[in-house]
Amino acid sequence: MAKKTLGRRKFLALSATVGASALAACAAPAAPAAVEAPAAVPATDVPAPAAPEPTAVVEMATAVPVASGKPKGGTLRIGMEGGSATDSLDPRTYSDSVMIAAALCCMNGLVEFDAAGNPTGELLESWEAKAGASEWIFNVRQGITFSNGKTLDADDIIYSIGIHRGESKSPAKGILEPITEIKKLSDSQIGITLSGGNADFPVLLGDYHLVVVPKDFTDWEKPIGTGAFTLESFEPGVRLVFKNRGGYWKKDRGNFDMVEIRNIQDPAARTAALQSGEVDAVNRLDPRTVDALMKDANLNIVRTKGTGNRFCFVSRVTDAPYDNKDLRLALKWGIDREQIIKQVYNGYAVPGNDHTLDALNPFYNTKMPQRVYDADKAAFHFKKAGITSAFELQTSEGAWGSAVDCAQIYQESLKKAGITMGVNKVSADGYWDNVWLKVPFCAVYWGRRLSADQVFRQIYGSASDWNDSNWKVPAFDDLVAKAAVELDNTKRTEMYYTCQEMISEDGGMICFAITDYLDGYSKKVMGTDPHARYDLNDDRIAEKGWFA
Amino acid sequence: MLRIIATRVVLGILTLLAVSILIFAATEILPGDVASAVLGQGATPETLRVFRKELGLDRPAHVRYAEWFTGAIQGNFGKALTNKRDILTSITPRLKNTLFLAGYAALIAVPLSVALGILAAINEGKLADRLANIISLATISVPEFFIAYLLILFFAVKLRYFPSLSTVFADMPLSKKLHVTALPAVTLTMLVAAHMLRMTRSSVLSIMSQPYIEMAFLKGLSRTRVVLTHALPNAAAPIITVIALNLAYLIVGVVVIEVVFVYPGIGQFMVDGVSKRDLPVVQACGLIFAGAFITLNTVADVLSILVNPRLRHPV
Repeated sequence: MAKKTLGRRKFLALSATVGASALAACAAPAAPAAVEAPAAVPATDVPAPAAPEPTAVVEMATAVPVASGKPKGGTLRIGMEGGSATDSLDPRTYSDSVMIAAALCCMNGLVEFDAAGNPTGELLESWEAKAGASEWIFNVRQGITFSNGKTLDADDIIYSIGIHRGESKSPAKGILEPITEIKKLSDSQIGITLSGGNADFPVLLGDYHLVVVPKDFTDWEKPIGTGAFTLESFEPGVRLVFKNRGGYWKKDRGNFDMVEIRNIQDPAARTAALQSGEVDAVNRLDPRTVDALMKDANLNIVRTKGTGNRFCFVSRVTDAPYDNKDLRLALKWGIDREQIIKQVYNGYAVPGNDHTLDALNPFYNTKMPQRVYDADKAAFHFKKAGITSAFELQTSEGAWGSAVDCAQIYQESLKKAGITMGVNKVSADGYWDNVWLKVPFCAVYWGRRLSADQVFRQIYGSASDWNDSNWKVPAFDDLVAKAAVELDNTKRTEMYYTCQEMISEDGGMICFAITDYLDGYSKKVMGTDPHARYDLNDDRIAEKGWFA
Repeated sequence: MLRIIATRVVLGILTLLAVSILIFAATEILPGDVASAVLGQGATPETLRVFRKELGLDRPAHVRYAEWFTGAIQGNFGKALTNKRDILTSITPRLKNTLFLAGYAALIAVPLSVALGILAAINEGKLADRLANIISLATISVPEFFIAYLLILFFAVKLRYFPSLSTVFADMPLSKKLHVTALPAVTLTMLVAAHMLRMTRSSVLSIMSQPYIEMAFLKGLSRTRVVLTHALPNAAAPIITVIALNLAYLIVGVVVIEVVFVYPGIGQFMVDGVSKRDLPVVQACGLIFAGAFITLNTVADVLSILVNPRLRHPV
């Protein structure tokens, strides 16, 4: 739910950035140009994300045959960004990678996702929908025991969903809102009734907040779960240590004896720790230094293309002058996506097509042409809009680390089209409270959502609190609602294609880049395939991986 | 003299009280409250309302200050709003880590820089003086993270003499702790040495222009003897003040070093608290920092009084 998988703490962004570049410069004496010259790097020539089949966009898969009897043992040490001294194992507080990965060490979710992003059974083994997709029956996996010896049954599932509902502060509360009733049909079956049909409902149950604990469990200092590991120690913001409890119910998984998750916020420190062999895996490598790391024979860099954060400039279509559709079109044609991707993301991103769905989503519109920089079209629409008043874009390090750089490149590319846009750099502190959803034009990023329905409802739906462009179109809402109950995939795809066209053509969002996930592993770590949802193999490298 | 010392101590306590009010007021006016920061963009008006009530943020500020301060002086900082852990239990190991690293760095830096400062004063204008000046100024002129990254690159990544992660854990033996924290300690030494070295040198030299020093030279004493027995005791006060300031800096100002070396000190703890708007954590850290700063300064004042021959032997 939380759109932020990237930490919002930018306190040290500047020093870290400078430091990272310094390290990069030093780390690559043989190729000093690597930092500044993305052209020298393979695969930076990013194609328009028109690739129809997901496998084409997932790069550098480590093609490991799924063999039974993977070697067991060893201690996996993971260095991760996305944790804090304020972390807790209470699933109602998760908002970033460290706790997502930690939770999945000792607990299991309701639904998990395969590498292509399709929902598969986890503790809910299978499901079926009645016609209209508003009534669902889920089968609870049988023969699973918690780390305290209790056997999993329907009550545990109902409790674990229930803590996020009602008077709860859980960020998952919103996605569970459509649930009107959860019934226990038997010890092995539950029935869920929704207020409206939703063919993607199992996808929503795959949300990372929804992990399963025994009924009435409350001691989050010592979580009880069905995961492969049990918690040994937890120092928030420092490290988590897990020990294998043996006999994991998932075949071929849970191979490590011990798992240690170390919090390493600084990208240069993470990189150095990986290079010096102090950790075996790291997340979120710096795109500006990753080229140098790829030359290191001891490392395996895994890149997942275009599934990371979606970076946008969002205008509120109800505020002048952005209520003028021609101005919005001018702003969309006038952004040089390729240049931003090249200069800011060192090529490790794909251009966005002014909506936040990515090419790995099965409903991604492959027929809609990718918008590219066109100064003439921008100038044409700007002239047609007849805007005389000045307008400005608010941006901040608090939106994301490089939001100011992106805005400046954008300003330059608009200037070439004869459009003058002011750029106002505002305070990072309280950005999401004071700027986002409040000012008419600002920098925003969105995280990936697995279902197209979730994307369309949360980001563009009239009923959503987070509809940051304030773009409220009844015809669009109707289409999304219709698609949600359409069980014929061809018709549904067609509807979602139209939805994307409507947003891209008329909406207030300029979505210019979707970044890649960049993981780093030591060569001995196996099971490091890219995943459609999150980095580090969906934050499950601890249970999925093994040592060669 | 006792009266002067007592005044200093009382002033220190009053300062701490004033600072506690400032800390509380400052955390109150931070933009955005803890509920919206913790929930992030997962916050809906309804979840916000529930969370705020749960945290007691709906009560007036002065009531919360009174509760907080009476708790704090008894060592009870309450529970963190974010993860519900007891703040004192969370802070204690981190404060110990910070003091350990600061002490480690100080043990290298203080003797080294005072000795080099005296050496430079004795050899004013000679090669040793110039070298000490140039090297110490060079290390202070580059940002601390740059030195840190260079040390990591050469001694951790390339030569592998030291680990790049300096994280220490409670169960580590002292020898191992000293080994893993060597690089941050050296980095900090380089940061603070120049200041102390130059202050030692210049305060000794400023005393050297006094008539009684000239007298000592006329008696036929060697330069070394004049510096050590006649100039240094009178130059001690500013040196002590600078050492105290640098020690305080080692405790409160090393967040960047903590981040680069992944060292679990109190600075990172406070930064995390600030970014999540965990007010009790921020307040507790602020109070501890203020306490450390004020204590070290008071100690420096008292020591300056004690070592000053004129104050020690009032006419």
